[in-house]
Amino acid sequence: MENFLEIKELKKSFGSGEAKQDVLRGTDFTVKKGEFCVLLGPSGSGKSTLLNIIGGIDTPDSGYVSINGDKLEDMSEKQLTMYRRKHLGYVFQMYNLIPNLNVKENIEVGAYLSDNPLDVEEVITTLGLQNHKYKYPNQLSGGQQQRVSIGRAVVKNPDILMCDEPTGALDYKTSKEILALIEDCNRKYNSTIIMVTHNEAIKYMADHVVKLRDGVVRHNDINDKKIPASELDW
Amino acid sequence: MRNPLIKRIPKELKSEWHKYIVIILFMILMIGLVSGMYVGHDSMLASIEKGKDELVLEDGSFELNKKASDELITGIESGEMADVRQYYIDEGVKEADKEVEKAAQKELHEQVEDNIKQMVRAQCEGYGITDEQIIDAQIETALSDNLENALKEAEESDEYKKAVEEALEEAYKEVEKKVDEKWDDISDEYGLNDEGFEPVRVKVYENFYRNENEDYDSDGVIDATVRIFSDDSEIDKAEIIEGKAPKADDEIAIDRMHADNVGVKVGDTITVGKKEFKVVGLLSYVNYLTLHESNTDLMFDAFGFNVAMVTPEGFETLKSRVHYNYGYLYDKKPEDKEAEADHAETLLKSLVTQTLVNDNEIEDFLPEYIRQASNFAPSDIEGDTSGTSILCYILIAVIAFIFAITIGNTIEKEAAVIGTLRASGYTKGELVFHYMSMPFIVTIIGAALGNILGYTLFEDVAVDLYYESYSLPACDTVWSPVALVKTTVIPLILMFFINLFVIINKLKLSPLKFLRRDLKKTKRSKARRIPSWSFLARFRLRNVFQNLPNYFVLIFGVIFIELMLCFAFGVPDSFANYSDKAPSMVFAKYQYMLMGSKDDDGDEIVTAEKSAERFSTTSLMYPKDDKFAFREGFGSGGDESVSVYGIIPDSRYIDIGNELSGDKVYVSSAFATKFNLKSGDAITLHEEYENKKYDLTVEGIVSYDGGVAVFMPNNEFNRVFDKKDGDFSGYFSENEIKDIDDKYIATVITVDDITKVTRQLEHSMGSMFEVFKYVLVVLAASLIYLLTKIIIEKNENSISMVKILGFKNGEIASLYIVPTAIIVVFVSILSFVVGIFLMIYIFKVLMMSMDGWFEFYMRPVSMLLSVVYLLVGYAVVSVIDYIRIRKIPMNEALKNVE
Repeated sequence: MENFLEIKELKKSFGSGEAKQDVLRGTDFTVKKGEFCVLLGPSGSGKSTLLNIIGGIDTPDSGYVSINGDKLEDMSEKQLTMYRRKHLGYVFQMYNLIPNLNVKENIEVGAYLSDNPLDVEEVITTLGLQNHKYKYPNQLSGGQQQRVSIGRAVVKNPDILMCDEPTGALDYKTSKEILALIEDCNRKYNSTIIMVTHNEAIKYMADHVVKLRDGVVRHNDINDKKIPASELDW
Repeated sequence: MRNPLIKRIPKELKSEWHKYIVIILFMILMIGLVSGMYVGHDSMLASIEKGKDELVLEDGSFELNKKASDELITGIESGEMADVRQYYIDEGVKEADKEVEKAAQKELHEQVEDNIKQMVRAQCEGYGITDEQIIDAQIETALSDNLENALKEAEESDEYKKAVEEALEEAYKEVEKKVDEKWDDISDEYGLNDEGFEPVRVKVYENFYRNENEDYDSDGVIDATVRIFSDDSEIDKAEIIEGKAPKADDEIAIDRMHADNVGVKVGDTITVGKKEFKVVGLLSYVNYLTLHESNTDLMFDAFGFNVAMVTPEGFETLKSRVHYNYGYLYDKKPEDKEAEADHAETLLKSLVTQTLVNDNEIEDFLPEYIRQASNFAPSDIEGDTSGTSILCYILIAVIAFIFAITIGNTIEKEAAVIGTLRASGYTKGELVFHYMSMPFIVTIIGAALGNILGYTLFEDVAVDLYYESYSLPACDTVWSPVALVKTTVIPLILMFFINLFVIINKLKLSPLKFLRRDLKKTKRSKARRIPSWSFLARFRLRNVFQNLPNYFVLIFGVIFIELMLCFAFGVPDSFANYSDKAPSMVFAKYQYMLMGSKDDDGDEIVTAEKSAERFSTTSLMYPKDDKFAFREGFGSGGDESVSVYGIIPDSRYIDIGNELSGDKVYVSSAFATKFNLKSGDAITLHEEYENKKYDLTVEGIVSYDGGVAVFMPNNEFNRVFDKKDGDFSGYFSENEIKDIDDKYIATVITVDDITKVTRQLEHSMGSMFEVFKYVLVVLAASLIYLLTKIIIEKNENSISMVKILGFKNGEIASLYIVPTAIIVVFVSILSFVVGIFLMIYIFKVLMMSMDGWFEFYMRPVSMLLSVVYLLVGYAVVSVIDYIRIRKIPMNEALKNVE
């Protein structure tokens, strides 16, 4: 598989002077197309910042991210918007659903942006949300909301699915269901997945594991013996 | 320890300063305006009230045909009804005396003559004379020698005296019989059957005046009518506002408002009649706070009418006829309007009978309480303030709702914090207090600054505004407790209760529910279903549903402001429309009213002018339906003054056909519109000072908006009003009539007389309406700004999220701005339609309390502009909203909410 995503010498710090904090200190790695890549690391290791930079919603101080050979730093604000619109799907720990839209409509928010979206009803069925599709987010459990959030991301049929601690707010059982769904998407639609997590157990279901600590890549491993999400245990 | 939550308040003020600036400015302006209006109004009314006592405002006045005799004055002052029966008997007796005397003399003359003739003939026969010629000659001689003595002798004979006495007695009886026979009619006519009649004693004062032509720029063209009083009057005096009172007989003090309007200053010279006067002072007459020339004028006219004061000597030097006007004061003041009306009615009875028996005539009678010139201004000032304070309360209520919505959102946002605080022991009361404090602080700041402005800047503005319109006395600022209550207490109460209600309602939930951010009181299992429109359309509709309270306040505010805009655009348009239609509001280019139909030699007044056409006219009253009148005491005091015209057959000026007869008449379109009359309706008109009624039937409508009028054929007119055949009141003419002597012409009505109404109104209010329009647009814009700001803030997280997902700014703006735009446009248009109809109705109600007719009108371009102005205000806000949406950062959604 070719290198689809390239992260080169990324540096990023927050604050200034005494309070200056280096979050990324020269991060390097590449991701291949269709790969399930997990970014592991403890709190404050810089993994969410890295994800935001890859997603084009934050910018590095130096270094670059390139996708299919296009460098994000060369893109204008408009091009970045188009980049996110055409290529990315996002799943957050806090779901970030639109509170005044119902389940189906929240998924349509994703579908609207895509040139070749998946069938919304089919996605709803895949996610097991048939009975909830006219409910508002505040009428759903955390796991159900995260399913909607995944639905909104995958319905676009994105090249890259960005998941920021998608199970961080969920219980064990629900977490495994959500991971299985993401795994399904990876397999079924051949989406590249970049998942940020601090849960070590998840690395066993990934193709590629990048471990970050203090803004630097400590391990960059390919996992040949990946196991299905349903068999994970922690 | 003080509640630590208090520390949040200044921080909140600081972080949201632009919102609070808008709100506080809004309140300062509104409160300042109302406060200024009230203080100005209270001060103005106080000076008017003070003037009434100091300058001895009449309780009413009447004008007589000639100067009243001392007996008449004594009679009127007694308040008693004169003995009309005795008057009629006396008149009858006088007549009888004359008649009997004449008849007796004639009879006596004939008898004595006969006696003499017979005696001479007998004597002649005794002498054997038979020649008739000689006999006749003898008779002739005898008559010339003896008739006189014989008559004298006969007159002194008891026989004759007795006969005359008997005849007189007979005649007197006949007179009494006649008077008794007709007594019912007479007593009806003068209201003498009133058994509860109690005399109203008054003190009568002379207040004579002359109406002279005024030429204020001495260019030889008459510019106005000036009503001139002598400065020695003991009633209805004037306050000198600038300069001094006249001292020499060529000095004059004129009305301040008129002088301002036409640009006359102290020291200028004006021509009055044919004489030049030096203006030495500007004044305000207590009974002419507005320059109404006649009480039935629709509007006062400070351009074309003036009142002035000269010395008694100066008064004598003027030439036009004296109006024998008398002011009166009641010995015992009536307590209220009703008693005033009773007093006036009673006094009128006395006045009518007293003038009758004293051989005088009433030209005019006007109790002060229905006098437009002294009541119009105070009543209008009163009306202004109530209008403004309603405006203020509506806007403060809107602000209160904006606060309530903002606080509601804050509570939702801070749900977890509130839950935690409640869980750790904060009482609901403490939190209510906390969230209530912000609106309260803002209202107090607004009220305090508003009041300061009200007592200074805005009071001057209000007073100046009144001075622009009315001939008011000088004014001192008085402290107005009402203003304080209305501008401070009521807004605070409004703010308090509206917010209390919303906040208590929001904080009702248990701490656990707050902690879980579960703030919906009823959990619907399904979301509201909406039609399967396009995704973006549904998204927008969801945004509307999410912000229903905001949109309700917005809709209410927009409706209200659009109504005001209709008013601000429509009123000046209506004035303009009235001016434009003025040519159609006169029957002919010239309408000459003559003093009488005959000249000094008793010949009919004729003209060689070909377009001239005779007409007759008189004034009657039409009873008004009280249910429409909301302001009392105007015009003719409840009844509508109707001009009745007699029209010649085949008139070129007024088409009423040639078929009318009996009680069938045409009415003017103004009459028909004002009182909803149509063909076939029966109307009853009555005389103003007599109890005569005329039942008429509407046969058709003449298109004439110039006034409330009735038209009938001239011969019918003369029959109905007991005029002689061929009688008439004046001429309509297309061209100026030059061959009738000025002294026979009472007035000439031209288009200019019609437009004076609007000229005055445009002068008094024109600029105010311009300012008002812009104030309204700013109000609308700030209102929409505040409400859309709330909507966007509430959805910051969602907006940030869809940005991350790749929505473009334009798309996001279309989701959050378009719904508001659709609503604003739709509601503006809708409320514009409602506004027009409401204004038409309000105008009609307003017209019911006045004489005459004035129609609400909006030019098509104004209709468009009234909506466009509002939308321009909104467009500015949408640009701000768009910028605000663009500025929302993407990491907003990435922040952990907790």
